Formats: sequence, structure tokens, C-alpha cells
Amino acid sequence: MNIIEVQNLKRVYRATNGVIRRTTKEIVAVDDLSFDIKEGELFGLLGPNGAGKTTSVKVLATLLIPDAGQVRVKGLDIVKDANEVRKEIGFIFGGERGLYWRLSGNDNLRYFASLYHVAPEISKKRIPYLLELVGLKGRGDERVQGYSRGMKQRLHVARTLLHDPDILFLDEPTIGLDPVGAREFRDVIRNLQSEKKTILLTTHYMFEADSLSDRVAVIDKGLIVALDTPSALKKHVRDLSVVEIETFGIAPNVVEEIRKLPFVDSLSTREQDHRQILHVQTERGAEAVPDLMASLEGMRVGRVTVREPTLEDAYVRLVGGKA
Amino acid sequence: MKTINNNLRLFWQGTVLSYVALFAWFRPVTYIASKILMPLAQMIFFTFLGSYASGGSNVDFYVIGNAIQITAVSGIFGVTMSIGGDRWAGTLAYLFGTPANRMMMFFGRAFMHVIDGAFGVVIALTWGALLFGVDFSQTNLSALGLTILVTTISTCGLGLLMGCLSLITANVMFVNNTVYFLLLIFSGANIAIDTLPNWMQAFSQILPLTRGIASARILIAGGSFAEVVPLLTSEAGIGIIYGWLGYFLFKWFEVQAKRKGSLETV
Repeated sequence: MNIIEVQNLKRVYRATNGVIRRTTKEIVAVDDLSFDIKEGELFGLLGPNGAGKTTSVKVLATLLIPDAGQVRVKGLDIVKDANEVRKEIGFIFGGERGLYWRLSGNDNLRYFASLYHVAPEISKKRIPYLLELVGLKGRGDERVQGYSRGMKQRLHVARTLLHDPDILFLDEPTIGLDPVGAREFRDVIRNLQSEKKTILLTTHYMFEADSLSDRVAVIDKGLIVALDTPSALKKHVRDLSVVEIETFGIAPNVVEEIRKLPFVDSLSTREQDHRQILHVQTERGAEAVPDLMASLEGMRVGRVTVREPTLEDAYVRLVGGKA
Repeated sequence: MKTINNNLRLFWQGTVLSYVALFAWFRPVTYIASKILMPLAQMIFFTFLGSYASGGSNVDFYVIGNAIQITAVSGIFGVTMSIGGDRWAGTLAYLFGTPANRMMMFFGRAFMHVIDGAFGVVIALTWGALLFGVDFSQTNLSALGLTILVTTISTCGLGLLMGCLSLITANVMFVNNTVYFLLLIFSGANIAIDTLPNWMQAFSQILPLTRGIASARILIAGGSFAEVVPLLTSEAGIGIIYGWLGYFLFKWFEVQAKRKGSLETV
């Protein structure tokens, strides 16, 4: 059964500049987006920066009014029945903000419990339970300003579960967390999955989407470019191999020249310390290495590896190698 | 009944927790400086200046005027912090994403500042008695207490409106300071209103504090409660008008933020 239905959602931002000669610029954040989420499903939403992920979450969380289309949560219209929808959902946006730092974790939860009309006798039991669920047992009396970033994120999860919503929107919840914190947070998400929550997760981390999601939608420029299970999406690139080349100070024009090589399907680069890692998707696999090295002649090159494609490679191919 | 209970709980928790969470001066040193030393300095400055200018015959006028005007520290600055603080804490989206009653959420933010402001006035009047010999022997203290409370509430009403401006503009402390000093001039705290030009007198009448200060002066001079009832009624009415204007601005802000997607950018 579909618990969330998004049909032809469109949202445009209008930015106005100037005092006397006012000019308005329109930015289409989400353009004709449609998808459904089943009850109990963890649905991943992937896309580059500016693809429309956060805008979609804000619309679903009743924080933005759509310009067109219809969005229903548990059969309720997110505009007409906004207050009813709010009782059914919880949401988190990435980052540390959104908590009262001068209050303790317990007081933050008490305040939000009253905002969600959770009766005191219920919140008294639920707050310790939630703090334990998110790994903050024994830390509830401390002020939030002393929490690490990961602890704040986990407190956000506890906050969003106060009224025991069936549906959760998690917008890049692990952004900025260290690897240990991010792993702990993923364990929290798995706990929520085991509690049969329906979850919409947006993330930049492909392995996160791969390991957690039942289905993944890849969006780009406000449109869905692919929607399937992670394993099915990986089939998009099963004919390809990925050559990873470690370079030091590669010039942008050299990257563009490699991108134009006829056997290169797509190319993305990632900065890592002082290195640039080239990810070249190609059907030729290891055979492409000599030609790629020829393009990098005279440059300092480190490790070169050839590997099987991952969900990230499927994603890069789907969004045109912009990652 | 359940809804009433929910809303009362929200009002009370919002009152206490938002005060602790968002009132930036709620630290011992800052609190003493801003709520005790600064008002005391203001009262001493204007009392000495005023009595020097008037030949030393009118000390009570300045002490009472400034003691009551001190409620604006809580009413304007405190309430603004408690409303606008959500913008800086990044909690607005999470507040607007809840089904909470907005009216309770909004007015709850001012309640502790009413108590705080009234307490500040009592301290200031005590300083007035100790330092300048203001005599309360003829004063109906219950009526004076009510005057302080009503004046504080009405000033907090203006503070609620200013607090909503802090959701829209980044320069609200500049606006707050301007309003605070306008109150020093136009509320009758330091300049007798009947000596002001007509248009300034008209402006005085639409401000909170004006009638509260007048009422306090009458009561401390030995006037009866009946004499100040019309002043207190008008003072309360003005506060209610400002408070509702603030609430409507708050609702308007929420709707606009959802239309324009400006929740984080304001």
C-alpha cells in the first residue's frame, strides 16, 4: 500500500533583485516529480547539489507549498490537511542546528513533546526510551551545547520520534558526521527500519543509500532520471568497469580531454587531501589503462586500480558524470 | 478538554523553556548588567540630569518615569530575543513543522518577560526609595502592583511585534534600540507629555508605557485606584492591540515563508 504519493510535483523559487528596477529570477527546483513510497519502505532520494532533494522533503514536511502537482501522505493532502499531516510525520534536516543548545537534551525533547501534544505521562516514559534508542542513554541531562555533532544528530532523531510518527523524512542526516558517527547513525536508521517506519532518506553517500534503501530514485534538475532497487540500478553499469587513477595537481583541461576520449563513458573526480582521484567508467576495463596513462603523460600519477561498478558509478552515469 | 490541556501545557512549557533557551541575557553576569546595573544607571543619569534642569524640585517625576520605563528592557529586548532566537537557533522549520497551536506558542514566549519586567520595575522603585527618597507611604501598593503588571504586559505586546520583525529583518537590534529610546522621549518618562508639540503628544498616546507611567505617578503621589482605572484600561488595550498585530505578523510570516521558501534565508 502506498503511504506517500507524489504526482507531478513542481516547485519554483523566485529571487527578486534591485530596488528601483526589480528583476525576478525563477529557479525550477523540482519539475514534474512523481513517485510513490510503500508502507514500511526505506526510499532513497539521490541527486547532485541543487537537484531538488531538500525541496522535495520540505514540501512533504509541509514547510513549502508546491506550485503544481499533488502530494498525499497517508491519503492526506499536504496543503489542505497540513496540520493532520504534521501529526503523522517526523523530519530531520542535516546539520547541527534546529535544537536549543542552552537546554539539556531532556528539556529539548520535553518542549517538542508539548509541541506535538504528547501527554506528559507518555513523554515521561518515551523520552528515556528514545534516548536509549539513539544511543544517548545517560546524557539527557547535559546541555546540548556540549554534545558532539553526532550526538546532536541523534538527538534530532529522538526529537522526531517523540510523537511516534509512522513516516520519517531524513534529509542528509549523516552530513558532516565523522565515519564512526555516521556508522552509528546508520545503525539508528536500521533500528527505525526494524520498527516498520516508512523512511524517505536523501543522501550524498551512495554506500549509505545502497546498504539502507529498499528503492532509490535518482533525481537531477528536479526530475527523476531513474527509480529502482539498488541492485537493479547497478545493472545500468554492469557492462562497465571503473578505472580509478590517483593524480596530483591535474589541470581541469586535462580532465576535459580525458572525458572526450571515445572509450570513456563518464568521468568524475574527487578531491582527497592534495590528490584528485579520477573515476573513469569504460567498457574496456583494464585495456583502457595504457591510453589513459598516455593522456596523463608528464603528470604525477599515483595508484591505478580497476574495479567493478558500484551504485555510485550507476549514479554518476545517470546524472552525466557530474559528481 | 484535551485540546485545552494540550494548549495550556504548550503555553507553560514554551514560557519556561523558551525563556531559558532563547533569552541570551539569561546568564548571571549579563543578567545583572542588563537588568539591574543598566536600569540603575539610566535612572540615576536621568534623575540627576532632570532634577538639575528643573532646579531639583522634581526628583520623583524622573525616578518613577525611569523605573517604570525599565520594563521596556524585558518587554522589548527580552521578548524580541525569545521570538527571534528561533531564527538563529535554526528551530523555526521544526516549530512550523509541528501541529502546535501557534497562538499559544507565540504568546507563551512573552510570559516570563512579563514577570521579569515587573520584577525589574520593583527593583528600580526600591532603588528610587533608597537612593532618592521616593515616598510610598501614601501609595495604594496593590494598585501600584497592578499598574506595573498591566504596563509590563502592554510593553511586552509591543515586544511581540518587534520580535516578529526580527524574523523578517537582520537589523532588529537597531530597530529595538530606536524604539527603546523613542519610549524614553515619548512615554513621558523624562519629558512631561503636555510640554511636547501636539503631534508628539499624539504619538505618545499610541505607545505603551505612557499611561502606565502616568498611573504610577498618580498612585505614588497618593491618588486612588479609581483615578487610574481609565488609564490602566487604555494601557491594557494598547498592549493587546500590539500583541495581536505581532501575532498576525507571525502568522503572515509563516505563510509567506512556505510560499517563498524563505524559512532559512530571512
